[in-house]
Amino acid sequence: MAQKEATVYILDLGRSMGEKRNGRNKTNLDWAMEYIWDKITTTVATGRKTALMGVVGFRTDETDVKGVIEEDEAEGFENIRVLVSLKQFLMPDIRTLQEQIKPSSTDSGDALSALAIAIQMIDAATTGKAGPLKYDRRIIMVTDGHGTLDVHDAAEISNKIKQDNIEVTVLGVDFDDPEYGFKEEDKDPQKQETEANLKGFTEDCDGRFGTLAEALSQLGIPRMKSTRPVPSYKGTLTLGNAADYDATLTIDVERYPCTSIAKPPNASSFVVRTDLGGGVGASTQSSATVAGGDYGADGQLAAVRNQRVYQVDNLDEPGTKKNVEIDELERGFEYGRTAVHISESDANIVNIETQPSLDLIGFVQEEKFERFLPMEKANYIIPQKANNQAQLALSSFIHALYESECYAVARLVTKENKPPFIVLLVPKIEPDYEALIDVELPFAEDMRRYKFPSLDKRLTISGKVITEHRDLPNEMLVKAMSDYVDAMDLTEFGRDEDGEPTEYMKFEDTYSPLLHRINHIIRWRATNNIYDKLPDPPQILTKYSAPPSDLIAQAQKQLAALKEASDVKKVPPKQKGRGKRTLRDREKPLSGLDVDALLGNPKRVKVDPGNLIPSFKQALAATDDLEAIQTAADDMGKSIRTYISSSVGESGYGRALEAIRVLREEITELEEPEIYNNFIRELKRDILDGKLKGDRREMWWKIRGSKYGLIDQKRSFASEVSEEEAAEFYKTS
Amino acid sequence: MADPTQDSRPGEEEEDEEEVDDSSYKTIKDAVLFAIDVSHTMLQRPPPSDDKKADRDSPTSAALKCAYQLMQQRIISNPNDMMGILLFGTEKTGLKNGDDSFPNCYLLSDLDVPSAQDVKQLRDLVENEDDAAEILKPSDEPVSITTVLFCAIQIFTTNAPNFSSRRLFLVTDNDYPVKVKQDKDTAITRARDLYDLGCTIDLFPISRPEHGFDRSKFYDDLVYPSSPSDPDAPVSMASTTKVSKSGDGITLLQSLLSSINSKATPRRALFSLPFEIGPDLRIGVKGFILIKRQTHVKQCYVWVGGEKVQIVSSTTSHLADDTARVVEKTELRKAYKFGGETITFTPEEFMQIRQCFGEPVIRIIGLKPISSLPIWANVGKATFIYPSESDYIGSTRVFSALQQKLIKSKKMGVAWFIARKNAAPVIAAIIPGVEKYDENGEQTMPPGLWLVPLPFADDIRQAPEQAGDVKTTEKLTDIMRKVIEQLQLPKGVYDPSKYPDPDLQWFYRILQAMALEEEVPEKADDKTIPKYKQIDKRAGEYLEEFGQAFDEELRSQLKLKTKAIALSKKRGAPASSATSESKPSKRIKSEEPANESAGMRDEEMAALNDRGNLSKQPVAALKDYLKAKGQNASGKKIELIEKVQQYLEKKGF
Repeated sequence: MAQKEATVYILDLGRSMGEKRNGRNKTNLDWAMEYIWDKITTTVATGRKTALMGVVGFRTDETDVKGVIEEDEAEGFENIRVLVSLKQFLMPDIRTLQEQIKPSSTDSGDALSALAIAIQMIDAATTGKAGPLKYDRRIIMVTDGHGTLDVHDAAEISNKIKQDNIEVTVLGVDFDDPEYGFKEEDKDPQKQETEANLKGFTEDCDGRFGTLAEALSQLGIPRMKSTRPVPSYKGTLTLGNAADYDATLTIDVERYPCTSIAKPPNASSFVVRTDLGGGVGASTQSSATVAGGDYGADGQLAAVRNQRVYQVDNLDEPGTKKNVEIDELERGFEYGRTAVHISESDANIVNIETQPSLDLIGFVQEEKFERFLPMEKANYIIPQKANNQAQLALSSFIHALYESECYAVARLVTKENKPPFIVLLVPKIEPDYEALIDVELPFAEDMRRYKFPSLDKRLTISGKVITEHRDLPNEMLVKAMSDYVDAMDLTEFGRDEDGEPTEYMKFEDTYSPLLHRINHIIRWRATNNIYDKLPDPPQILTKYSAPPSDLIAQAQKQLAALKEASDVKKVPPKQKGRGKRTLRDREKPLSGLDVDALLGNPKRVKVDPGNLIPSFKQALAATDDLEAIQTAADDMGKSIRTYISSSVGESGYGRALEAIRVLREEITELEEPEIYNNFIRELKRDILDGKLKGDRREMWWKIRGSKYGLIDQKRSFASEVSEEEAAEFYKTS
Repeated sequence: MADPTQDSRPGEEEEDEEEVDDSSYKTIKDAVLFAIDVSHTMLQRPPPSDDKKADRDSPTSAALKCAYQLMQQRIISNPNDMMGILLFGTEKTGLKNGDDSFPNCYLLSDLDVPSAQDVKQLRDLVENEDDAAEILKPSDEPVSITTVLFCAIQIFTTNAPNFSSRRLFLVTDNDYPVKVKQDKDTAITRARDLYDLGCTIDLFPISRPEHGFDRSKFYDDLVYPSSPSDPDAPVSMASTTKVSKSGDGITLLQSLLSSINSKATPRRALFSLPFEIGPDLRIGVKGFILIKRQTHVKQCYVWVGGEKVQIVSSTTSHLADDTARVVEKTELRKAYKFGGETITFTPEEFMQIRQCFGEPVIRIIGLKPISSLPIWANVGKATFIYPSESDYIGSTRVFSALQQKLIKSKKMGVAWFIARKNAAPVIAAIIPGVEKYDENGEQTMPPGLWLVPLPFADDIRQAPEQAGDVKTTEKLTDIMRKVIEQLQLPKGVYDPSKYPDPDLQWFYRILQAMALEEEVPEKADDKTIPKYKQIDKRAGEYLEEFGQAFDEELRSQLKLKTKAIALSKKRGAPASSATSESKPSKRIKSEEPANESAGMRDEEMAALNDRGNLSKQPVAALKDYLKAKGQNASGKKIELIEKVQQYLEKKGF
């Protein structure tokens, strides 16, 4: 677990902080707050009760030290305010702070006095009865250095800081930093002095001193969350069966995660309160925070509960369902469509009995191993802690695997009666570190045996092999691809700290874009109530979304050659899709036979209710005439209504739904969306008005669920229906 | 009203989909109708032979066995999919609903999600020849193939009207099933109806010893090259499906099984994406899941209030917590918890947040040697990609050139990969897959590229700490190498097909037995258990050698460290346990690993139990005892007590 923390932020709120300097379009204070808010909200996001934060302002108009210092000792602490006392920060604290962050109209107020207050705050909060508690103590000060600095207590303060082991960071607006490469021209002499004094002081207490711009530039680098390793298996790695054979190998080992996908936070569902009258809708832009159940204050969202309804097929009335109560239900499984009831006492009968073990099956050769087989995240297998035998034995095993260029295959059961898995054991040897890595391998059932045609040859129907074909690359393309691939190599494209060539885009340089994007936007939103648009993701998250431009520039020639040799043509959107509009284009059987010619190329095909969908498709294929299309669609519509109105329960709904789908798809392709839209509007009305022999609302739910509503402009440019109208159509009232 | 989204047709994109795994992939509904020819030639058994490997099945019976196996397999792999079996050419006529308008077509099991009874009926037919003989009686008049196709249309439209994949598996040895050309023409038009309906014919032709099956005589006019449900799936194997025949060392059954297995699940693309090889150079690819952990069905509710046990379906509706009002899905707002409150965004903003990384794409950032993909960097399963010409003409040749280059230079691409709208961007390695065949020339691994997801800095855990610096020696390593060399798996590779999932197989065996109210088997057939006898035979000698060398080495390495250990003892840290099992050595066969010192003896524990004093024991004592007995020592105190009692009972106390 992370260590307890106590952090006090000291903010310069002096008059000069309200100014805009050095061509920035925001005030010094707003600029500084970018940094402070990011720090604060990052801590709030962890939700840790043991991460305390407080904020102190100096050069404020008023003075209020909230009792941190006894009143009779308060002299010298003028123009200093404790804005938020040291505590776990929650949303209300953020709001409290927000209200107080504005530049004052004064220049007086001493930075070191504010520091003394902060030390006092930390001291009070982190000292237990028996002395200082285990805490990470931190003070972070941001100032523009325009105030004066009273240095005559400086030595005492810095001693106290060192004694309490407090880490002090001082960040200055436009402070000079030769390392970062910033120097303010024409610096105010007063500022120069304060800056120098602050720097000296910070160095005295082993703190960090820097310019704000540098600190801000580092904010973009996402912070990693560290997780305590939890073993998923503690047991033995064995070769052979010790119960039946003499010569076996048994090593005590432990298994820990090596990789694990870090997931972005989950959003929970809420519903906009309806009992508030008028407040609905306004909530989205006006306030960042909303209440649900126990959450928050302004109460515009209510929590959502799920209600489940249980149903079984009603055997007395086929095609209908009846509700059943939860206490009539028992546990069971589906075997195909047969329900198998398994009583509580038999619950374990379906589970295979196993004992925890990691049992070697055999060995495979490294070079023959298919790298795409491993299925899950990787784990470390290390010797049991403080066990020399285990360490020596595992070390021999790891090195033997490594030297023989083999991997081991083993059967792993992590806990009693857990299903066995097959894992691959791979040696990992680094200077000072040895371990086995395990990854899960697929079972027979996990492999789908689809077949795909060869990529380097083609077979004719008669089985002859051909090597020249439009789907096969010619020599020129092979060469161009080879040159391009070589030109785009990243192995030495990166630069390390010393500017030496190194691998570009290592794992540790890439950050999970969505995870950090969501964290970033939540933090941002917590302190931004009013805004026009959401900020873009930090640049570091998109850095690896495209090839580095320098590399592309270098490979320009090879890329051009490859493009030419490839001769790839984009298919115009209209020709896509399954529909072949004319008789000539219709899909032909393997033999290439023209089936329509066989039928004498009929000019008009009638839709046959007994062979509905095929005859409808054939009717459309046979004609270009709008009237004929309308007739075919009408016939189709008639049959759909018949399916619905003659359905016993829901028995006919499936067929109706399929017919609607085909009608919608074919009409969309013919770019006559109105034909379909008219049909579906009428159908909806008739269903809801009960005109199709009884209550057919369930059919409407199915149409809605399948999204077979109006064809909108997005789907067909010929449509006059907007996306909003199409969405509106799905509503029932 | 309940939200009926469960009825939404598979493949329809769920706009607000947050889950980005392959959930949409699973929902593709598939219906397979087996149509098996029952004729005099199809029923003819091969001549008896003493050869164990010789054929014993008539073509019809081989087909039924395949159907039986496929049915069982599909219950496991596609529990929501339908299957039916239609026999044609039989004396018997009739569909399940009493319809007998299709002469000589007999529907053995109706197109539906298979029930336990369907499995049993099929098994009886396969295993019991007398039963079979009655049903498998060929008619004197040959059946009309047009009737069969029409019958199939009827069955598909009634039972699986809106399934996105509907397939007719036609097993026959008759390559010209009509007498006059006119009959052929009507069959062709029926086949086209079937195609227009969205159904595929998969032909499984069987050659007889004296008569090779010639597809071009008839069936090439009936079978279409692509599947209507997935128009640009790579050209189906229909054109190259091998004619099943006996001989060549494999039986008719095996060869038919192999053809059918490759079609067991309809191939369906997971995504169709632009593959950007360089700026302004895009080709089209489709992604397929070829590796996926198959799990068994989840426990469900059953209703026991009626005459027979029924499966319960449930629908969820949302209620507002404050007013208990039913809420439509569109009214829901998502919010994040933050600082004790919630932070919310409009649905549009949610889209913006997730989609700010651009359109779905696979974009190559650059290339690296394949050695920069260590196995420890694995985070999940790989996805297979294969070129598609539907968006970019020329995709296949460019893809092929890339694949060949990557194989040749042992390189991999590194790509930015967004699988679909709303999906989280990942960085993936693109590694080449080499086409592989078995000894019969059947493809075992398809050619293409694999997308292997790579870890971000956030996904890499710190290596667990290890104390101590005991290290192997050349001698020990060398002996261990001999062990490794002795115990290579066949051909030095891991072949998944040799290892069925023992848990999955056991689960369904039990479930099947229970569904049919048959005896439950006692012991699982677990192919993952190592072959101990072989291990002993091949490596026993070296293991002994290792054991001896190990003991010596350990002693000499520890001698150097005595000082350090003594020091740690002074501090009260536990020294390495002497009873540790890490010592490879000759071992006396014993039922329990002796570790009595750690806990109480059985008698003592039994005495405590008799006096009802078990609950007064500290948890640690109970745990020690259970551990010493090799029992699971986890759980709450009350559970520990129960375990102790169970153990004592077993021991006869």
